[in-house]
Amino acid sequence: MTEKKPEHPGCIEAGILENALVIIAVLDKGGKILAWNRAAETITGYSKQEVIGTATIWRHLYPEKTYRDNVTKRIEKILAARDYFENFETLIHTRSGTTRTILWNTKEIDHDGMKRVITVGQDITPLRELDSFRECIIDNANVLITVLDQHGRVVMWNAAAEEITGYARAEAIGRREIWKQLYPEKDYRNTVTRQIREVMTARRHFANLETHVTTKSGEKKIISWNTRQIAFGGGEHVISIGIDITEQRKAEEALVAYMTEMAMRIKQPVEIIRDNLLDVAELTRAGKITPEETAMLLDGQVRNATQVAANVQEFQKAILERNQAIPQAYRKFLEGE
Amino acid sequence: MPPIVRPEDLDKKQIFLILASPANIRQRNIELIKEISENGYHTIIVTLNFPYNILSKLYAENGVDLKTVSFIDAVTRNSIGSAENVPGVVRFVNNPANLTDLGIAVTEVLKENSGKKVCILYDSVSTMLIYLSSQNISKFIHFVTNKLRLMDLSGVFLAVEKGLDPMLISQLTTFVDTVIDTG
Repeated sequence: MTEKKPEHPGCIEAGILENALVIIAVLDKGGKILAWNRAAETITGYSKQEVIGTATIWRHLYPEKTYRDNVTKRIEKILAARDYFENFETLIHTRSGTTRTILWNTKEIDHDGMKRVITVGQDITPLRELDSFRECIIDNANVLITVLDQHGRVVMWNAAAEEITGYARAEAIGRREIWKQLYPEKDYRNTVTRQIREVMTARRHFANLETHVTTKSGEKKIISWNTRQIAFGGGEHVISIGIDITEQRKAEEALVAYMTEMAMRIKQPVEIIRDNLLDVAELTRAGKITPEETAMLLDGQVRNATQVAANVQEFQKAILERNQAIPQAYRKFLEGE
Repeated sequence: MPPIVRPEDLDKKQIFLILASPANIRQRNIELIKEISENGYHTIIVTLNFPYNILSKLYAENGVDLKTVSFIDAVTRNSIGSAENVPGVVRFVNNPANLTDLGIAVTEVLKENSGKKVCILYDSVSTMLIYLSSQNISKFIHFVTNKLRLMDLSGVFLAVEKGLDPMLISQLTTFVDTVIDTG
């Protein structure tokens, strides 16, 4: 059996540094690059030969002066207070012209009496793109989306929430008072809160709960809520999706009102005309009215029938006005053409 | 048979909504006129269904003293075009849809009969629906009931049962004192 020769610890460290999937750079006190690993080459597009021994790489990575100065100032500020910084996010400009988001963690060390800075940069571009994709979806959804933390504070308030309620993100985020504004009437607010609490305690979610909110402009809107409790970031959160069903409800109410009015102003009048005609027949048969009076009564019923037909026409017009989607052929028919 | 409207309620100047089946509504009209007349009231009949000349004939046949009634007729002119008012007996309105004319006629006939024990009878709310939307009917009845209360008069609105939508019924119910379903 051959005894395996122990590897030199320095070689292992160098191997790790070289093969790590994050940017690892070692800098001297003046910002000159002393080490630049393979991932740094891959991510930035700049090779070891180009960067080692110089401090110019930062000008390439941050070509825009104002942004570069801002990054430098922020780093100096952090390092003035302590010898490291964590999760410092910057946008770098790569050799190929693309922009990447890098999350930097830096630690100052003492190496053989010399100050060295080890900088680790994680390329979080895909994560940020995903975040931005999610935000884009949430902001472009035409439903109100809000997320509350365990204290009931709003942590997310999308564009539709702003549009529907009239309250801007800045007025909602980090606050609980938004609900008092949306439900200004105390008794109603308490009822809604109790309902939500009961359902959430029992099932941790609810669907299609309708509430009446008051928008910033004082307008009343009906919102259908779908809410679910989710575990996120070490705490319980509640995600609520609200659909503005005000117009739908109005349309339903209008339809019921329309159908009712139709029944009253068409069905019943036809029954009245029928009963009147029965009376005319009965009175005529009994010889209680003269032919002239019979004609007069019949004239009256003709007028009633004419009015009912006009009422039907009026209803048809109302339908046409309200529903532009009716096909042309039906439209002409309903218009009586 | 008990009266449809109790005399003591009439004396309290109550306003009634009387519902009847389509088959019975004409009979209820005659019964009500007889009852109201027998209680010493002069009845102003606002007719939107049968013309004055035929109604007066039917009343006479059924023993109603025609001196105790006067008419606001919104049918005759609409049917035959013209008819002359007979003071104290009948006043014609051109069109049942013209609520302004109808309102003026009611006001003037009430004035003609001031000093008398007067009850006004509308025959019927259901027929009004041929010419007017429920919203306008509701407004008009509100106007008439207010007028009756200001003048301390009694009134009866006849309607076909189950013919009015819940919203209109609930509005009318708030305007009147008593709703009686006679079947």
